[in-house]
Amino acid sequence: MRRNAIMLRALPMFLLWFTHAASGQQPPDATHNEVVIKNAVVMTVTHGNVKNGSVYIKDGKIAAVGESVNASASATVIDAGGKYLTPGIVDSHSHLALDDDVNEATSPVTPQMMMIDAFDYQDKAIYRALAGGVTTSLLLHGSANMIGGQAVVIKHKYGATRDAMLFPGAPRSIKFASGENPKRVYGSRNELPSTRMGNFAVQRDALVQAQDYMRSWDDYNAKVKRGDKDATAPKRDLKLEALADVLRGKLMVQIHCYRADEFLNEIAMAKEFGYHIRAFHHALEAYKVPEKLAAENIGIATFADWWGYKQEAWDAIPWNAVMSMRKGVRVAIKSDSDDFARRLNQEAAKTMHYGGASEEEALKMITINAAWIVGVDDKVGSIEVGKDADLVLWDGYPLSSSAVPSKVWIDGDVYFDRSLPGYGMPHYTEGQ
Amino acid sequence: MKNQVTGNGSHVTGIFCAAKAVAVVALAIWTCAVSFAQQQPLVLKGGKLLTVSHGTIDNGVLVMQGGKIIALGDASSARIPKDAKVIDVTGMTVYPGLIDSETALGLTEISAEKMTNDRIELSDEIMPHMHVYDAFHAESELIPVTRLNGITNAIVAPDNEDTLPGQDSFVQLAGASAADMLLIRDIAMPLNFTGAQRRNESWDKQKFPGTRMGMAAQLRQAFMDAQDYQQKAVEYEKKKADAERDKKPLPATPKRDLKLEALLPYLQGKKPVILAAEGPSDLETAVRLAQEFNLKIVLNHVSHSRPMLDYIASLKVPVIVGPIYETPKESERFDVVYSLPAELQKRGVKIAFASFDAHNARNLPYQAGFAVGFGLPADEALKAITLNAAEIWGVADQLGSLDPGKTANVVVANGDPLDVKTDVKHVFIAGQEIPLVSRQTRLRDEYSTK
Repeated sequence: MRRNAIMLRALPMFLLWFTHAASGQQPPDATHNEVVIKNAVVMTVTHGNVKNGSVYIKDGKIAAVGESVNASASATVIDAGGKYLTPGIVDSHSHLALDDDVNEATSPVTPQMMMIDAFDYQDKAIYRALAGGVTTSLLLHGSANMIGGQAVVIKHKYGATRDAMLFPGAPRSIKFASGENPKRVYGSRNELPSTRMGNFAVQRDALVQAQDYMRSWDDYNAKVKRGDKDATAPKRDLKLEALADVLRGKLMVQIHCYRADEFLNEIAMAKEFGYHIRAFHHALEAYKVPEKLAAENIGIATFADWWGYKQEAWDAIPWNAVMSMRKGVRVAIKSDSDDFARRLNQEAAKTMHYGGASEEEALKMITINAAWIVGVDDKVGSIEVGKDADLVLWDGYPLSSSAVPSKVWIDGDVYFDRSLPGYGMPHYTEGQ
Repeated sequence: MKNQVTGNGSHVTGIFCAAKAVAVVALAIWTCAVSFAQQQPLVLKGGKLLTVSHGTIDNGVLVMQGGKIIALGDASSARIPKDAKVIDVTGMTVYPGLIDSETALGLTEISAEKMTNDRIELSDEIMPHMHVYDAFHAESELIPVTRLNGITNAIVAPDNEDTLPGQDSFVQLAGASAADMLLIRDIAMPLNFTGAQRRNESWDKQKFPGTRMGMAAQLRQAFMDAQDYQQKAVEYEKKKADAERDKKPLPATPKRDLKLEALLPYLQGKKPVILAAEGPSDLETAVRLAQEFNLKIVLNHVSHSRPMLDYIASLKVPVIVGPIYETPKESERFDVVYSLPAELQKRGVKIAFASFDAHNARNLPYQAGFAVGFGLPADEALKAITLNAAEIWGVADQLGSLDPGKTANVVVANGDPLDVKTDVKHVFIAGQEIPLVSRQTRLRDEYSTK
């Protein structure tokens, strides 16, 4: 039985390889891929722009950046024609490729849910975002539950295998939520929670259980360490195990939260139980209490200008991102939508309009700051030597209404090339 | 109709203003400010005038008076009236107020809060007697937000979940009251045939029409009923005339039916039906239906009708495109919807953009800008949110371009009107400068000083 299951999983993998070979395409092989992109305006994000710059890609990494680079003679040279080159966009709040399996809305506490179990790597939304310059996304559980599931971080290598799309070494994140959504979902069923009081009671109750669970395991482990042969292991509980990892700081906490008062409640709760909040998501009222967020080193992943879709989004203002940034908050602009994910560059550019973010500040919101929220800023989010060669070449100024990516590289390989017919994907054909 | 469009509101008297001032000071100041025709000439000097109708004037002068544009030209030759108030807009771009060809402005406040929404009557699919002007909320917080990005006029339409959800109004986004802002009531009627109007949510909730066949049959029946209604009215008039002539007792007046009555101007081709379809088969079915009843049509959406571009062009009707952010089908290339405006324009189709939104109707120009990235010439993109829209809605004699005699709906910004970075610096509606203030700027200012 078990063997059959493995066979059934292995078979499609084999077919995948077979059709790939049959279509005459070579699977991406970044390790042998040496590329120099020259004559570009290289927007490094962290070290300013290099006009007439070059980037040398080797083994899937950025090997050199500058006005000129020392590359091996065998490297493929691509002339950018004076166009703009940016790091790949990082979307710090996405639900794409989850086939609507976003909310396990059958209980307000579901930390044992793993988004990787729902990840549909063939979803074309991955491709459509890629065509908009997105190379990395944090796929989060929805906001129906106070404590949702654990996220998965992907690279948009459309056409590759599922495992090749998982971001190697990305830290684990968990989604919490607050406010109207849990209230609406459970309140409409006459269940707890239906108020913000209920919300926080449910959250606190779960964390108290996790403390007990953690204590029982700590006690057990201490007994084992002491050589106590009679020690019996507590029953494993996936739900509490995940929450214990929150308390141990092994999971980054990403909280869906709109209102200023709820930021403060969540911060107090985190202090009470001893975990750190990585970022507030949506965070449309961050501008009301930016110092409080900055003091706790909590980032925000927010919309550029979305507002008014529900009561807790009524005080949203498009100056939120820049006002919060000016008070020291690390700000990312995220999509939370398969639609916005396709034009995050435009969304970031709105911060230049609303509040006067500089070009670099705007770009950071969809690259390095977003990468920090996801916990992968040491690997992506800027054009720096040693980082993954995730790059976007734009046909116009990227922080504008009309710029469109002409090429997108991930780990040194071209995954999107607008000049190609069909989908514009060198590593994918339909029916693959 | 012409007088309505200028929106000077001269019928609002000073006494009325004063009375309001006692009641609500702030509102009254506003009321007075926009109600009096602006008499002192107002001059925008030194800007780059994007006239839309006759090219660009790099260093231009534009003169407004009495709510209208009275002159414009090159700074070197234009005469500036002596008593004019002159605003130096050197380095700025000056363009006509933008027109959004479909919004829900004034019909919604907070999307998820039912009591703040008046967007659609779902009790029946055939609701042509719903008039958005009956719900239009002039004090909506969304309207100043929209103005701030240079949108001065909009079509307000009911939501699209009925095949015939009601009739649109054309509004000006400033005025003393709803009456002032509703420039043209019942300007057009949407006919939605996208499949979203089916009542087949689930098997247990299924009701007629559960299919597109049902939708089409129901529409046909409605228009046929209206034809009969019209016929009966004609017969009645004849009988009445005969009776009067013969001095006989007058026939009984036929019973009025508001639903059927509402369809008559559209059956008679006096007003356009805004025909929404997405995919090819819906488009063809809906067009066939419209042709059966000789309806005058403007196409709406057609986002998934890529294979039908030549067919659409052959119909020789305007198309309201968008939202171009509509997701392509799984089998389609990423840019099939993005490039639709360019492809239609290339085929000679008159296009206009719509936000199909309320809260973010303010992003209308960025959608046009995005279409430029996919091949639409920039001047055509601007035209699609100004003059083309004005022509489609029959108000091109008043709006849509910088021309003498037109209503002074004028925007001054620090760059390309279509670019997301551009900041709007002045908005004039009927010659009155609109304060660039909204609920959002007030929140911004309140928390900026903290």
